[in-house]
Amino acid sequence: MSQQRRIIDSRGSFCPGPLTDLFKAYREAKNGDILELWATDPAAKSDVQAWAKKTGNVVEEVVEEQGYVRIVVRVAGKGG
Amino acid sequence: MDDVVVVGGGTGGTLAANVLASLLAREIDRGEASVTLYSDTAQHVFQPANLDIAFKGAEPRKYIRDERKLLDRRVKLINEGVDRVDLGNRRVYTETGRSQNYSYLIIATGSQADPSLIHGLAESAYNFHTGPWDAAKLWDALKKFERGKVVLAIAGVPHKCPPAPTEAMFLLDEYFRKRGIRDRVELTFLTPYPHAYPSKPIADVVEPLLEKRAVNVNTFFNLESVDSVKKKVYSLEGDEVEYDLLIAIPPHRGSKLAVKSEIGDRDGWIPADKHTMKVADYDEVFAIGDATSIPISKSGVVAHLQAGIVAQNIAAEIKGHDGHKRFNGRINCPLEVGGGRALFVVGTYERQPMPMKPTRVKYLMKKSFASIYWLMLSGRLEWLFNLYFREG
Repeated sequence: MSQQRRIIDSRGSFCPGPLTDLFKAYREAKNGDILELWATDPAAKSDVQAWAKKTGNVVEEVVEEQGYVRIVVRVAGKGG
Repeated sequence: MDDVVVVGGGTGGTLAANVLASLLAREIDRGEASVTLYSDTAQHVFQPANLDIAFKGAEPRKYIRDERKLLDRRVKLINEGVDRVDLGNRRVYTETGRSQNYSYLIIATGSQADPSLIHGLAESAYNFHTGPWDAAKLWDALKKFERGKVVLAIAGVPHKCPPAPTEAMFLLDEYFRKRGIRDRVELTFLTPYPHAYPSKPIADVVEPLLEKRAVNVNTFFNLESVDSVKKKVYSLEGDEVEYDLLIAIPPHRGSKLAVKSEIGDRDGWIPADKHTMKVADYDEVFAIGDATSIPISKSGVVAHLQAGIVAQNIAAEIKGHDGHKRFNGRINCPLEVGGGRALFVVGTYERQPMPMKPTRVKYLMKKSFASIYWLMLSGRLEWLFNLYFREG
C-alpha cells in the first residue's frame, strides 16, 4: 500500500486540541504515513516531540511558519 | 411566520428552546413565531452526576427528569429523533417520516459515547459515559471489588467532559480508602495525553496529588484493543497493561444526522464558526455544544453558553434588533480531587487555563450546580450566569 500524507490543521486550537487532532489521524494511519500537524498552540511542539519519542514515531521536521508551527511526523511506532 | 426548530433535548437544545420561547413570547402568542424542539428521548439526564453515581453510589433517578416539564409551555416538544436535515430547502425529516420547514435551525445533537468503536471494549469495560444506568453498574462492580488492578483508560479522543477521567482517579482512590482496602488495590490511569490532565497548567496541579495517592499515570497510551479473556489492554504501539477491573472513557462520535445529511465530518462532528456557531454557508443554521468540531471542550458549560448566545441572536434577528453576541470560548469545568475539594478549569479561546488550588469552596460550587441545573435550563438564571461569566 502507498504511503499517505495528511495535513492536520489545528491552528487556533489550544491544548489538547492539536494532540487530539493528531491522535485521531494517527489512529487511522499506518507505518510509513506522514502526518503534518499545523498548530498555533505553543505547547504543541514539545508535546508532539515527547509523544514521538515515547511511542517510536519520528518527528522529521519542525518548521516555524508565519504565526504557526508545522510539525511533520513519520508514523513508525505502530505495533503488529 | 418565523419557525425556529431545535434538534436535540440536552443541555444546549433545552436551554436554547426556553430562552427563545421567553424572548419571543409575544411573537409566539400572536402566531408570528414558533419554537419546536425535537428530542429522541422523553427524559433529560443531568450528566455530570454520572461521576457521583459511578463512584459514590448516588441514585440515578434523582438526576433524571421529564423533558416536557423542563420546557416553557410555548415550546412545542416532539419526541422523535431527526433523521436528516436538508439545509438547501430548510427542512428537517424525522425518523418516522414527518417533516417540517424552518426559518432557523439549531442543531444540538450532542455526542455519543460508543464502546463498540474499539475492539473488545464493549464486553470488557465499565463506563460512566453511556448513561446513569451504566454508571450504576460500575458502582455495583466497585462494591464487589476486593483486591487487584483497577485500570481506567481514555479509549478515544475527543470525549465529553475532559476533567472526568482525572477526577475519576481521585474518586476511586477516595472510595477504596474509605473502604480501608486501598493498599490492596493498584490504580492505573491510561491517557493518550502527555500529562494526567491534557492542559499542562492544570496537570501541574493534579499530578503531585495523584502521585501522593499512589495512582500510576501511564501517558501517551492510545488504546487500540482489549482482550477480555486475558484481561489486557493494548496500545496502538503494542504495549499491554493487565487489569482486573477495567473502566473506559469510550470513543465518542457525533450524530448520525450530521453524517447522513452530509453536514459533518466522517465522525459526525459539524463544522461551525467558533464565535457565532453558524454552520458554513447557512446564516440561519447553527450547531452548538458537543455536536460541533469547534476546538473546545465537549462540556455542559460550552453547550450552555453557546445556546444562550445563539438563542439571543436569533431572537434579535426576528425582532429586528441589532447587537449580535459572540462566544469567546469560555470554559469553566469543575475537577474534584477527593477530600471534598475541587478546582475549576477556566479559560477562553485566547487564554489557556491557569493553575488553581483545589478548595472546599470550589467543591461546594460544583455540588450546588446540581441543584440549580434544572432551573438553569429554564433560562431564568441567564442574568446570573452572564454576570458570573463576565466577571469570572
